[in-house]
Amino acid sequence: MSRTGRALRMSYLVASVAGVAFFALSVALLGMWPARVLDAQTAAMAPKHPLEPTTSEKRGRAIYAREGCAYCHTQQIRYLHADMARFGAPTLAWETRRDTPQLWGTRRIGPDLSRVGGVRSLDWQYGHLFAPRAIVPASVMPGFPALFAGAPDRPRQDARDLVAYLDSLGRARELAGPEGEAHAREGCNCPDDEMAQMAFEGPLNASPARARRTSEAPPALAPNGDRARGTQLYAEHCATCHGPTGNGDGPGGSGLVPSPAKLAEHEYATERVSAALWHGVAGSAMPAWRDYSAADRAALAVAVQGLAAVRPEPDVPAHLVPLGQQVYAANCVQCHGASGDGRGPAADKLPMAPANFTAQRLSLTEALRVLREGLHGSPMAPWTTRLTDAERLAAAHYVRSLFRVAAPAPAEAR
Amino acid sequence: MRYAHTQGIMLGWLANAFFAFLYHAVPILSGRRVTSARLGVWIFALWNFAVMLPGWVLVLAGVSQPLEWAEFPIVVDVVVVAVLALAVVQFLPGFFRRGVESLYVSSWYIIGGLVFTLLSYPMGNLVPEFLPGAAGAAISGLWIHDAVGLFVTPMALAIIYFVIPVATGRPIFSHFLSMLGFWLLFFLYPLNGTHHYIYSVLPMAAQLTAIVASALLGVTVVIVVTNLFLSMRGAGLLPRDPALRFVGTGTFFYVIVSLQGSAQAQMSVNQTVHFTDWVVAHSHLAMLGFGSFAAAGGLVHAWQRMPEARYNAAAITWAYWLLVVGLVGMVVDLTIGGLVQGELWKSGAPWIDSVAASRVYWVARAHIGSILAAGFIALLVGLTTGPRGGGMAVRPAPAAGGHDNVAPRLAPATEAL
Repeated sequence: MSRTGRALRMSYLVASVAGVAFFALSVALLGMWPARVLDAQTAAMAPKHPLEPTTSEKRGRAIYAREGCAYCHTQQIRYLHADMARFGAPTLAWETRRDTPQLWGTRRIGPDLSRVGGVRSLDWQYGHLFAPRAIVPASVMPGFPALFAGAPDRPRQDARDLVAYLDSLGRARELAGPEGEAHAREGCNCPDDEMAQMAFEGPLNASPARARRTSEAPPALAPNGDRARGTQLYAEHCATCHGPTGNGDGPGGSGLVPSPAKLAEHEYATERVSAALWHGVAGSAMPAWRDYSAADRAALAVAVQGLAAVRPEPDVPAHLVPLGQQVYAANCVQCHGASGDGRGPAADKLPMAPANFTAQRLSLTEALRVLREGLHGSPMAPWTTRLTDAERLAAAHYVRSLFRVAAPAPAEAR
Repeated sequence: MRYAHTQGIMLGWLANAFFAFLYHAVPILSGRRVTSARLGVWIFALWNFAVMLPGWVLVLAGVSQPLEWAEFPIVVDVVVVAVLALAVVQFLPGFFRRGVESLYVSSWYIIGGLVFTLLSYPMGNLVPEFLPGAAGAAISGLWIHDAVGLFVTPMALAIIYFVIPVATGRPIFSHFLSMLGFWLLFFLYPLNGTHHYIYSVLPMAAQLTAIVASALLGVTVVIVVTNLFLSMRGAGLLPRDPALRFVGTGTFFYVIVSLQGSAQAQMSVNQTVHFTDWVVAHSHLAMLGFGSFAAAGGLVHAWQRMPEARYNAAAITWAYWLLVVGLVGMVVDLTIGGLVQGELWKSGAPWIDSVAASRVYWVARAHIGSILAAGFIALLVGLTTGPRGGGMAVRPAPAAGGHDNVAPRLAPATEAL
């Protein structure tokens, strides 16, 4: 053996040892050490008593994993302003401490789901899971009808568990509240670490679709909405539930409770449509559409106002006017308010905001139908046992007379 | 389906192709037969009927791990590790017979690939099952890169380093550069994995380590590929020998995908392209452009030297062109699609806009996918039809070929040091 050979043999030996050492280093430095750091972080930042997942949510998680949801939906909000503006606060280590194995995902075809809990109503989730394109026409998500007994409002246990899991995502941190955030910030002990501080900036859940119950006025819309654009947007995003002509009969709306508003049976003040688009309708499946521009929302408002079915409504028979006022004062003011603005004394206690009759006028037929049947899924009850036919007719006329805003002449616009 | 896709490509297609090539290369490189023919049957049977078949059946039946590139359930993982251990016994002992200083670089890659996969597979497939959230993600990230870097890359490079000198009839340009590249790759690859989780809650030091290692890896690959291209000089841009053409093109894709990898690991690029189709294009460039082209080159090369093997030259030419067109088309298509998605996400446009804008790229991708499928069918046809021994007839310089004459060209050429 030559000297070169011996030297080579030695150097290969050294390199081999180094190669294995580098692999060990990678596992230690990039695998084990981060785990220790993250454990310490979790211990310091997690709330004292975070809400644990229920049995159903745990099963739902297994179904989420089994069905491969993580291939198209991430569960990791990055420390980037673009991510935070869309989804909310960056994911902290403690939030995924029960996630074994992890479901962070590496590809976003659909949106991130870390904070989807509370963004969509459960019946929206069922309808969307059953047939995504029935609700979101441009979606490429596969449907999961096998989790249902034939219809979106007949979920099997698997669908219930999966939706329960989805609705729990982001919940632990949300429930920890401001105290939890303060505790986490203190535990982080990182006032100078700009990136770490991002975890506490902005709203926890920034989803533009999340419905909010608030009387806060939405930003003003542009005055002249582009009707053609609005009609196109309506067809793309609204018709699936509200129906192509606004009769609430779209395929996506079939399983929703309460069912989608019959836009064609309403005249709406622009601010009313604007508020529904900006805040959504809390307590229903109607999401907010805050990610749409003011011009698009103005266009949609025009399109929605244009759906109102224009037909001659009978005049109020004179003798019904005082009766209507009387019935309304005796039965409706508690929720709908004396002026009809939906701010009666009981309104705040209800899971859904009562209708504001000053900003929306129902057709007489629809008003009578609602009085007769109630609005299933909302606090509005049927009134057939309490009111006579004449009283209901009087009340229907009366709530119509409360409308205070003239919609921009739907007949002319069409 | 996606579960079956990643595992099918890596373990079903590439691993089988690599094992097949090892039966051709290892006896030539080590100068003695593999350990046991009977063991070979066992490895084949176990890999295909105890790993791939139950793995696919189980994941399609919904029994799987929700971890990318590690989808097969634990019971299958155990068999994988066992077969990898058998493969070490089958292929490696011959290399140590004559002392390591006389080992050719391909042998080193085969040793490194098998040994390090044996180490990293359990790390990536078993450990994250028991670690929660972010900590588990850290390990998963390591494995995603180790699967490519410590299994596919070494095996593919072993093939490329083997085919080039035999097919061109000249030794590799520099044995020193070969060995430098080999060790740098094995030092740097494992340190890359965390670059899948940039801007995450993982400790910044770990993220930065991976970013730096990713940049250095790009430099290393340039060294390796320069050496390979210098070894191919004179063969032309489009060598007549299809095996050489496959590995040459694979080498070209290798340098592209590696430099792209270095770039996308940088924070400024990563924040836009992460989670988009850009990364899907990247992984196809790696597994298909680099891994599969090398594997196809290796198979064709071996087939040309087996008198009993059927060989259909026209189909192989078709396979090459279909795969090139399909791969380039898919990578370009998805890269543009990924940029569109990344920009739309940053712009704050409604989410569904990014889905609607991607549709055209996805439709294109589906069509391109059928070109790729046709390419693989052509490869299958090329290796299973045609006259027996047909490959030997098309070898460019059969007179200079023959196993006995190959050895000098695969010598480590220590004198170059």
